This record gives sequence, structure tokens and C-alpha cells, in this order.
Amino acid sequence: MGAPSRTYANMCSHMVVCVSIPRFSLLAALGDRRVLAQDAVALGPEPGHEQVLGEVSPRAETFGVTTGMRVGEALSRCPELRLVPPDPEGVRGLWTVVLERIESIGGAPESERPGVAYFDARGLRGIHGGSLDGVLEAARRKLGRARLGVAPTRFAAWCAASRTSARRPTLTVERRRIDDFLAPLPVALLRVRPELGELPETLERLGVMTLGELAALPAPALAERFGHPGLTARELARGDDMPLTPRRPPEPVTERVELPEGVSGQQLERTLELLIARMLARRERRGRALRAVALSARFVAGGTWRTAVTLRHASAEPERLRLVLKPRLGELPAPAESLALEVEAFGPPAREQTRMLDDGEAERRGRLAEAIGQARQAAGEGAALRVLDVDPGSRVPERRSVLAPFPDP
Amino acid sequence: MSRAVAAARARRIGTPRPALVEVGPDRRPVAVGHARVEAVREDWVVEDRWWTGRRLRRRYFELVLEDGRNVVVFHDLEARSWHTQRG
Repeated sequence: MGAPSRTYANMCSHMVVCVSIPRFSLLAALGDRRVLAQDAVALGPEPGHEQVLGEVSPRAETFGVTTGMRVGEALSRCPELRLVPPDPEGVRGLWTVVLERIESIGGAPESERPGVAYFDARGLRGIHGGSLDGVLEAARRKLGRARLGVAPTRFAAWCAASRTSARRPTLTVERRRIDDFLAPLPVALLRVRPELGELPETLERLGVMTLGELAALPAPALAERFGHPGLTARELARGDDMPLTPRRPPEPVTERVELPEGVSGQQLERTLELLIARMLARRERRGRALRAVALSARFVAGGTWRTAVTLRHASAEPERLRLVLKPRLGELPAPAESLALEVEAFGPPAREQTRMLDDGEAERRGRLAEAIGQARQAAGEGAALRVLDVDPGSRVPERRSVLAPFPDP
Repeated sequence: MSRAVAAARARRIGTPRPALVEVGPDRRPVAVGHARVEAVREDWVVEDRWWTGRRLRRRYFELVLEDGRNVVVFHDLEARSWHTQRG
């Protein structure tokens, strides 16, 4: 159990709980080697992205190494710094577990990035002892040593969570104290909101160092100088924020192929073809087209890679999906030992557009589709397959071809 | 942490199967199962993944058996086992 939160009387108002797990991505990437977090370590740059660090350990920070610093500069500041390969796939999986634990206590979490989530405590008191403390206690049991900040707004809750510590992992701020709480805090906390861009740095250069100073500035002047971000920042500093937008639990449909040998090039294209065929054959799809998908890979040398693709038009046509996803394979920086395709969003049911002039092909395709459907109905998903050449030139015979689901005609 | 992830090896064609192979003094097959080897048409060695911890080393033989069948067998030089394989 953590230290009790500092709560105040009459806590019946709307309260947002911020769940913060500092350095979540770094810890997830370390996996079983979390003891290394005590050393000077940092999350390395993702392949194909700008060469800047991700999250850094506390010891690395003592050398002046910070998140977003260029790798060369970081190594010059801290020669003992060790870089950890990023693992976006693992981070995403672990963070999904955290969100599910919040949902298991009745919360509806909103999360824009791994490591930080928000949920509304209103409506949960009744199922957790009738008090906010009961809700926090339930969250603490599910989330372990996560930091909890509680306040009337999302941003204020984040500020409260940032003020917690290992000794006091929960901080609650009631509405009547929110102005006094926010006023002395640094404007740097506004960096949590990506829509504000570089506004926090600009405010610091102009001498506006605290949220209280920002809140005291006239709105017309902020609007004229900074536009909508300026007004947004002022509202946040005054204790106002937009309502939460809880996530819609995803329908996880993922296909993964383990590759015994690290593959690249044409073999990856064949594997992609296999993944698309298997994905389209999944019953969970229920005839729906694919709107957004994500392609991910694990590298032979460690680390993962992930890229999300939103189709301009939702589609269930294998050739169209292949055309969209094939170029993304070129972004892989290293041989992969597994490749996965995940559906992030489904579209409407896929409709077949019939031809104006029927040359008999439609009828033949219909009969073939019926036959395949009946075979799968009788003998399972693996009843109708086709041979897919993955690496026809391989000297090892079992690596040349695989069996893939027969595509729906 | 598992979700609905269908993580599976792709179903491959031509996967090796264990075989009972009798060898002669020259280490070449003389019988596969109960069938004697009529002729060794060809033999070759495949070495792969030597840069990893899972090295692959096989000595292949294409055989004609006394019953007329044409089979391919290989001796796994790492596991010291015999297998048949199509393709």
C-alpha cells in the first residue's frame, strides 16, 4: 500500500485521476533487465527517425542528459551512457495492460501516449466504498507503484501527478485550492500538451516562468501573440480543460508470423502477402473492410518496429492492401525475426461491386466462394489453402513455400 | 499479457520427417526403412545460419530405392539424425 493521499473534506465534485508511470517506455524496453535503470541508460532513437534520445534514467539525468537530446551530445556528456533499443511494440502491449487494469476497476481511461492516462473518478465512488479514497485504493491495488494525481481537470491532475514522489505517490487537489496549487508551478509542465508546440519554451524566454504569471496575462494579448495555443495555455493555467475522451476498447485482431531466419527484401514481401491473406480470413473481421492497420516487426538483433497506416478508403482487397503496405517494408532498418499485421480500425462491410456486363466470371467466382465457404465451414479455417512461394531460391527446401489461406474470390 | 494475437509459425511445405536410414562403411545410405538403396544419384551439403547460435548443417542424398522410388534424405550433421524431405 502507498502513503495515503492528502485529501480534503467535501470531495463530491468532478475529479480526474491522472495515472503516471515515469519512464514507462524505457522500463518496458529494458524488460527483465530493469536493474539497469539504476545505471546511466537511455532509450535509443527509433530506426528511421531523428537521432535523438528517448526517455533517460535518473542517473543519466545527473550528467545533464535529457529526453530529446542528440545522441552525440548525450554521449559526450556521459561517456558511460548505454543505449537501449526502442521497443514500441512491447511498450504498446504493456500499456494496453495498464489501460485494461484501469477499466477493470470501472474507469474509462483516456491516454494519448504510454505512461500517462486519465480517468474520471465520478461514478466510481459507489462501487468502491462511496469515497474518492476508495477509488484511489482500488487503483493503487491494480497499478502498483504508479503515481496518481487527482484534480478537477485533466491538466491539473497531470500537474499533481508530476508533484508526487516514491514516498508520497498520490496527491489530490480539490477545486477550491486549484488556483493556489497551479500558480507557482512552472510553465514547462505545459509540454505535456502536444498541441501547444513550442509555446512553453517561448513563454520561458519571454520571462513568463509560472502558470500563475501566465494566467494573469490578458486573453486578447495572448491570442494576438500566440493564437489559439496561447488561449488554450491560459485556460489550462486557470484550471480549465476539455472533458475527457475515453478510449474505445480496440478489437484486437492481429496476425503474426515467426520467421526462423532473419529475412528482408522479397521474402518479407511474400510474408506480408501471407499476413494479409490470413488477416482477411479471420472470422473476427465479419466481412468488414480494413480502415487502419499497423505493421510491426521484431528484429534479430533486438528491438521492435511499428508503423501505422490509415487507408484512404477502407478496403478488404488483398492487392490494394499489399500496394499500401509494401512500401512500408522498405522502412525496416534490419532483418526481422517476426512480422505482424494488426487491425486498428475496421471500416464498413466490404461490398462487392458487380459488373454491368456479366461475362460469367462473377458467377464462377460466386461458385468458388461458396465452395470455399462450405469447405471452411465443414473442416475449419485451414480447409482452403494455397501455396505461397516465400523464398523459392532457398537451398533449404522447407523455407521455399508456405501454405496461406485461399483468398476470398 | 496475451491478446487475441494469432502468433504462429507459417505452415511450411516439405518439412523434414525423421527417417530410419542404414549407412555403409563409406557413410552413404544403403537402406531407407525396409527398402535397399539401388543408387545414389547425387549428394550435396547445405550449411546455413553459421553466424547465429542455431547453425544448420545437412548432407543431402538423392536416392533411388530398389522399389523404384526416388527419395531425398539428409543427415543433420548437428543433431546427428536422419530425415526424409520432399522437394
